[in-house]
Amino acid sequence: MDARSLGELEEIRIAYLGRNGRITKLVKNITSVESSERKSIGLLLNDTKSTMLSLLKEKENKLREGENTQFDPTLPGIKKELGHTHLVTQAINEISEIFENIGFRRLRYPEVEWDWYAFGSVNFGPDHPARDEWETFIVDNKPDKEMGQMVLTPHTTSGQVREMKRLGPVFSEPIRMINISKCYRRQSDASHVPMFHQFEGLVVDRGINITHLKGTLDYFAKQFFGPDRKTRIRPYNFPFTEPSFEVDINCGICEGKGCKVCKGGWHEIGGSGMVHPQVLKNGGIDPNHYTGFAFGWGVERVFLMKEGLGINDLRTMYSTDLRYLKQF
Amino acid sequence: MNIQILDSWLRVYLKTNAKPTKIADCMSLCGPSCERLEKKGNDWLYDFEVTTNRVDMMSVYGLAREAAAILPQFGTKATLVPLELKKPRPPKKSLPLKLKIDRKLSNRLMGVVITDIENWKSPDWMKKRLNASGIRSLNSVVDITNYIMVEIGHPSHVFDYDLIKNQKIIVRESRKGEKIISLDNKEYTLPGGDIVFDDGTGEIIDLPGIMGTKNSVVNKNTKRVLFFFDNNDPTRIRRSSMSLGIRTVAATLNEKGVDPELAEAAMLRGIQLFEEVCKAKISSKIYDQYPDRYKVKTIKTSKAFIDSRLGISIYKKDISKILESLEFETKWRGNQLEVKVPSFRALDVNLPEDIIEEVARINGYYNLPSELMEGQVPSAVDNSNFKIANKIKATLKALKAVEVYTSSLVSKEMIDGNAIKLQNPLGSDTEYMRDNLRTSLLNVLNSNKGVNDPYHVYEIANIYLPQKNNLPLEEEYLAGLFVNYNYRDAKGIIETLLDQLNISTSFKQSDLNHFIEDYALEVRSKENYLGKFGVVKNDLIYYEFSLENLIKNHRDYKKYKPIPKFPAQIEDITLKLPKNTKAGEVLKDLLHSDILIRKVELTDMHKSNYTFRLWYQSKKKTLNDKDVEKIRTKLLKFAEKEFGAIQVV
Repeated sequence: MDARSLGELEEIRIAYLGRNGRITKLVKNITSVESSERKSIGLLLNDTKSTMLSLLKEKENKLREGENTQFDPTLPGIKKELGHTHLVTQAINEISEIFENIGFRRLRYPEVEWDWYAFGSVNFGPDHPARDEWETFIVDNKPDKEMGQMVLTPHTTSGQVREMKRLGPVFSEPIRMINISKCYRRQSDASHVPMFHQFEGLVVDRGINITHLKGTLDYFAKQFFGPDRKTRIRPYNFPFTEPSFEVDINCGICEGKGCKVCKGGWHEIGGSGMVHPQVLKNGGIDPNHYTGFAFGWGVERVFLMKEGLGINDLRTMYSTDLRYLKQF
Repeated sequence: MNIQILDSWLRVYLKTNAKPTKIADCMSLCGPSCERLEKKGNDWLYDFEVTTNRVDMMSVYGLAREAAAILPQFGTKATLVPLELKKPRPPKKSLPLKLKIDRKLSNRLMGVVITDIENWKSPDWMKKRLNASGIRSLNSVVDITNYIMVEIGHPSHVFDYDLIKNQKIIVRESRKGEKIISLDNKEYTLPGGDIVFDDGTGEIIDLPGIMGTKNSVVNKNTKRVLFFFDNNDPTRIRRSSMSLGIRTVAATLNEKGVDPELAEAAMLRGIQLFEEVCKAKISSKIYDQYPDRYKVKTIKTSKAFIDSRLGISIYKKDISKILESLEFETKWRGNQLEVKVPSFRALDVNLPEDIIEEVARINGYYNLPSELMEGQVPSAVDNSNFKIANKIKATLKALKAVEVYTSSLVSKEMIDGNAIKLQNPLGSDTEYMRDNLRTSLLNVLNSNKGVNDPYHVYEIANIYLPQKNNLPLEEEYLAGLFVNYNYRDAKGIIETLLDQLNISTSFKQSDLNHFIEDYALEVRSKENYLGKFGVVKNDLIYYEFSLENLIKNHRDYKKYKPIPKFPAQIEDITLKLPKNTKAGEVLKDLLHSDILIRKVELTDMHKSNYTFRLWYQSKKKTLNDKDVEKIRTKLLKFAEKEFGAIQVV
């Protein structure tokens, strides 16, 4: 069946199945076979004949197709399946890259943390009313005499004094830290999940002032959200910064009109501020010579603010349904 | 905390032509954030978020003062209408009241007796304003206390004067176990150390600053009212309020430290309303115990300090103007500045940095330039864990794996051993910090019940292992689950991953917890343990590696191997292996049976027949048929001797 044209195929057909074809002749001569074998030989011949006919037909179809069809570049491609990295990973990588490009170092500090690092060292007194807003999970353990209760860290701010201490008793080089880690708070609704991620920026050096904080946040916002989204900075209060700011970005879901996810068209990206002198002292840094700024924002929160992403419930992000996971 | 107020109420104290939207926008940029502005009939309702340090702004008057400082910065005229309050003429004969303050517990006590209350019904304007602020109207007497709390910012209380035995109020600490019945009829057992009012008989007649008690509160039979202000130690108020779980508006204000100076203004405003609304009489003098009056606090700073933190130069006169609009007093000596802090900011403003905040925010953060910092860049840190995690994720993506993030908070059923437990979990399904990733990944099955196609999910995350007298060990793991996967495909994916990390790997069959017996492998690199791989349930293949092990045994880059000068001879040999022979071991040993065997692969299996593809190659020459024959003979002899394997021809 190596025929390369319909003509050639026809020649083969005639040679075997034509009036004087080999098979046709054998069928004609079946009577010359002994009757005891006639039946089995007859079956064999019939089988051969039908097999040949179907093969010929198949080849004929193939050859006709080739003759009538041209190469069709509009045929759909056959896509290859890839795996999927999680949105949170994508967000973390994007964020770290943005900050690493301006000299920040990525670090990570404990998720299960002492009250001292989570609260005390960053200027929350033991009865500070602002502790309420941090809705903290407490570990069922005896508190340590010096370090206090063991808690699940409710913010990456816990890493500030740890980072200052990492550099040793003598503050020898400036800090530019980006600390990305899991955090935990006792809350669950469309914009909160009990486990989430924050990224904390901390810069400490001589001569750091508010314009540097604004510059860094602007740089991040432009890189991460694009030039069209608007941001604003307004006064706020945190124990660990003075002055403190809340950084907002206009809502990408309702485009600033106001919806169930945002507050009047704005999203709070998170807090920031100039490092409180007491926090510097707790980290062994002289606030008369050094100043700093810090910010701590939710990874998921900023990612959901990306225009056109279309996820408006934070809990969706942690779904383990493959139909969601395979979209990204 | 949030405070809702009507625009019409704000404008009682704020004279301005600014529209509500303008007020909301300007306030948000320089002061309290207006989270919502809503039209209410022909009025507007603001919803301001006031930070915990600014209890002075948790009132209509406080917000008006702030707006009067902020709006002019935007070129809009605005002035604060001062409170016009006159002290009432004291009655000829004052009804008695004895107050005994404890300076450790209270800053100020103030009371006045009100009698002849004619009208117990609140006027509509008062009801409307209170309702808009989220406070339910009860009667004019109670409403007045709430009204002045929202308007002026100091909580107050009304007692039934005739229920206070001996007309005496003594401030003392509670003893542990003392009981009270609150005005809403709930019994509480006090933890001890709470601030309470005692009528001199030992009986508690109030839980001041938090909630009134049933035995002294105004009720429907009340004839004479004691209108009362108490200003107490905020820390104790907070402790009692939190431990008893009584979170009234009064408590949330008082725990933040309300200015005791404010009590007087609020008292006079209250009296004004009692006279106006209730047509009541003032039947006592104003009793006032205020042993430690506010001593004006002075903060010293300088223009240089302010400029250095703002990053711009700001005129001395502008600094003064801003601070004075917020009722700070300023005095310059050259470039040195002395700032006197008003009483209502006493708790919040302590440092030169606090002065900077006031100047910077009113001047407008939006007026400051944005600049990236210069200076030395910190030295490098070890980031091998982030690097390797990203390399793993990139490789697994290419191998069709799907990354998941599951919760570190798990149920008791999901932990393997002694795990970190929470005191205050959200529910029993999130009571522990996980000590393994396996059970979390097995849970992923529940979200994908209808899926029959093979899939591979994985996660890189910490597990938390308790340690004595220390924080738990947080160990980062890579773990994954193959569902409906062919065993060799799954194992091949892990082998490929380890190849990509340039880890030379060996597998050793072992008995491992949580795997089906005889279905588990220990993964090693030379003598070092890396992790586990095996079948945990029918159609479920699980693996885990500690990231630290992978980091220790991996190489960042490959080593160059010179390209062979002579070609390899390749042939397939099919061996019949006796029952229970481990094909993996045969393959490994065949590779080592002769130095000229460079590579062995398993290409086919049929019953007990295994086809191996062999690469024979020498560095010195091209192998001829005779050479190959020699190696093959050696190999077959070895296979027969070691494994009883016979070549199938």
